[in-house]
Amino acid sequence: MRVVIVDDERLARSLLREFLQKHSDVEIVAECANGLEAVKAVAEQKPELIFLDIQMPRLDGFEVLDLVGREVNVIFVTAYDKYALRAFDVHAVDYLLKPFSAERLAEALDHARAKIARNERPPVAELTAAARPGAKLERVLIRDGSQVHVIPISKIDYIEAQDDYVAYRSEGKQYLKQQTLSEVEATLDNTRFVRIHRSYILNVDRLAKLELYAKDSHAAILRDGTRLPVSRTGYSRLNALL
Amino acid sequence: MHPILCRGRSLILYLASWTPIAVFITILLSRDGSLSAIEAESIAFPMCAAYAFVCLSSWYLCKVTPLKEGNIGRIAATFGVASLITSTAWLLAIRLWVLLLDSISIFPGLNNRYANEADRLFFIGILLFILAAAVHYLLLMAEASRQVEKRALELQVLAREAELRTLRSQIDPHFLFNSLNSISALTTQDAAGARRMCQLLADFLRRSLQLAARESISFGDELKLAENFLDIERVRFGERLNLDQQVDPDCHSCMVPPLLIQPLIENAVTHGIAPMVEGGTLKIRAARSGSSLEIIVENPFDEEARHAGTGLGLQNVRDRVKRMFGDDGRVDVQRADRLFRVTLRFPCVS
Repeated sequence: MRVVIVDDERLARSLLREFLQKHSDVEIVAECANGLEAVKAVAEQKPELIFLDIQMPRLDGFEVLDLVGREVNVIFVTAYDKYALRAFDVHAVDYLLKPFSAERLAEALDHARAKIARNERPPVAELTAAARPGAKLERVLIRDGSQVHVIPISKIDYIEAQDDYVAYRSEGKQYLKQQTLSEVEATLDNTRFVRIHRSYILNVDRLAKLELYAKDSHAAILRDGTRLPVSRTGYSRLNALL
Repeated sequence: MHPILCRGRSLILYLASWTPIAVFITILLSRDGSLSAIEAESIAFPMCAAYAFVCLSSWYLCKVTPLKEGNIGRIAATFGVASLITSTAWLLAIRLWVLLLDSISIFPGLNNRYANEADRLFFIGILLFILAAAVHYLLLMAEASRQVEKRALELQVLAREAELRTLRSQIDPHFLFNSLNSISALTTQDAAGARRMCQLLADFLRRSLQLAARESISFGDELKLAENFLDIERVRFGERLNLDQQVDPDCHSCMVPPLLIQPLIENAVTHGIAPMVEGGTLKIRAARSGSSLEIIVENPFDEEARHAGTGLGLQNVRDRVKRMFGDDGRVDVQRADRLFRVTLRFPCVS
C-alpha cells in the first residue's frame, strides 16, 4: 500500500512513520509539511492512502480532501474533534485523534485495506460539507495536474455544468472541476450565487440586466455582455433575491 | 415573623431595655406620695411588660408603610392613629389592673389614688409606641443595607468565578493533545526529550492554574509562563517558531491580571505563525516609561491564510485591562505589512 504522510509538525510525521514501519505492506512514498505539497505528492506519486492533518499552512486538510479525495483514501489525523468527528462518524473514512496508539493506527489501516480491496471511494462532497457545518466557501480550489488554482469566491462570474464536470468562469478563464452543480450550489452563499438554470449558477454581482426573449423565458445579460439562459424557477429565485 | 420574637436572646434584650422605662413610670407614679413605691412598681412593671409586646406590633405597620419621601403624611397618619388606639387600650388595661389590685384588697383604695395619673400615662403610651416604630424603622433599614451588601458580595463572587471559568477554558485543549502527541513521538526517538517535554507541560499547567487563581500577578511571572508555553510550542514547530524577546528588567515587578498576555501569545502562534509554511518570529517587547508599562506582542501572518481567530481572546484582554486599570489602560491592535501587533499600555503598580 502506497502511503503519503501530511502534517506540518516534524514530530507528528515521525511518529506516524515509526508506527507504519511495523506494517510490511505499507510503503511511505512521500512526507509533506503542508497542503500544497500534499496535493503535489498525490498527483505525482499516486498513493492509495494519505494520512492528513487538518490544521496546516496554505491548504487545510479539508481543502486537500476536496482536491484529491476522489483518487485517494484519506485518514484524518488531528487533535480537533469538534466538527470533524461528526463527518467521520457518518462516513467510512477513518480518523485518528492525537495522541493515538499503534493499535488504533493498525485498526485504521485495516479499514483502509478493506476499502481499497472493495475499490470504494468516499463521498467527498458530502464529507467536506458535513465537516464544516454552516461555513460557506470563501475560495474555490481547482487542481490542474499537480498545480492548484485558488479562486476567491468574489472573482467567480458564473459556473456552468459540463457533463461530469463544472466549469468555473473567472476573469475570462475557465477552470474545470469534477463536481456536480448541486454540490457547488450547496457550498455557496445563496445570497450571492443563484441557480438561474439547470446548468448555470450566477454570481449576482455580475448581472447587468434581465431580458425577456420569449414567453416565460428570460436571459441574463452579464456586465461583460455574456448571455445566460434563465429558467422560470431561476427567474423567480432571482426576483426573490433582487 | 417578627425578628425579635423569633430569637429568644433578642427578646430578653428587648424586654431588658424596657426596665428603665418601667423605673421611670414608677418614679412618675410615686413622685407626689399618693402612691407608695411598691404600689407604683406593681402597676409599672407588669404594664410595661404587656406594652412591650404591644409595641412590637409597630413592626408590621413599618413594613407596610415603607420609609420614603412622599410617604411622610401617610406615616404620620398611620402611627398617629395606631398610637392613639394602643395607648387608649393600654390605659384601659392599666385601669382594669388597678381595679383588680384594689378589689382583691392588696392595695385598698388604689383606684382612687391612681386616677389623676391617667393623663400622663396616656401621653407616655403614645410616645413609647412612636419610639418603638422609629426603632423598627432603623432595624428595617439596617437589614436592607445588609441585604444590599450581601448581594454586592454575591455578585462579586459570581464575577470572579466567571472570570476563572473563562481563564480555565482559555487553556486550549488542542494545545494539550498536540503536545501529548509530540511526547508520544519523542518517547522512542529521544527519551530525554520526551521527559523534558513532560516536565515543561507539567510546569505550564501547574503554573497557569496557580496564577489564574490570583487577583493579580507580577509581569515577571506572566512572562515566565509565556516562555514556558513557547518552549513547548518550539518542540512542536521546531525552527518555524522563533522568539525575539526584549524586556526591560524593571518591568518584571509591575502587577497585571493573571494570564493577560497568554491569549495573545497563543493567538500569535496558532493564527499567525503556525499557518505560515516557513514559520516566523514572535516578538515580545516590554518597557517602562515613567509610571506606565508598555507591552507589545507582534507576529507575522499570511494574508491568504484563513486561520482567523474568533477575536474572543483579544476581547477578553481588552475587558480585563479595562477592569483592572479603567480608563488608564489601553489596548491597540494594528494589522499592517503582514504583521499583527497588539500594544498594551497601563500604569505600572508594583
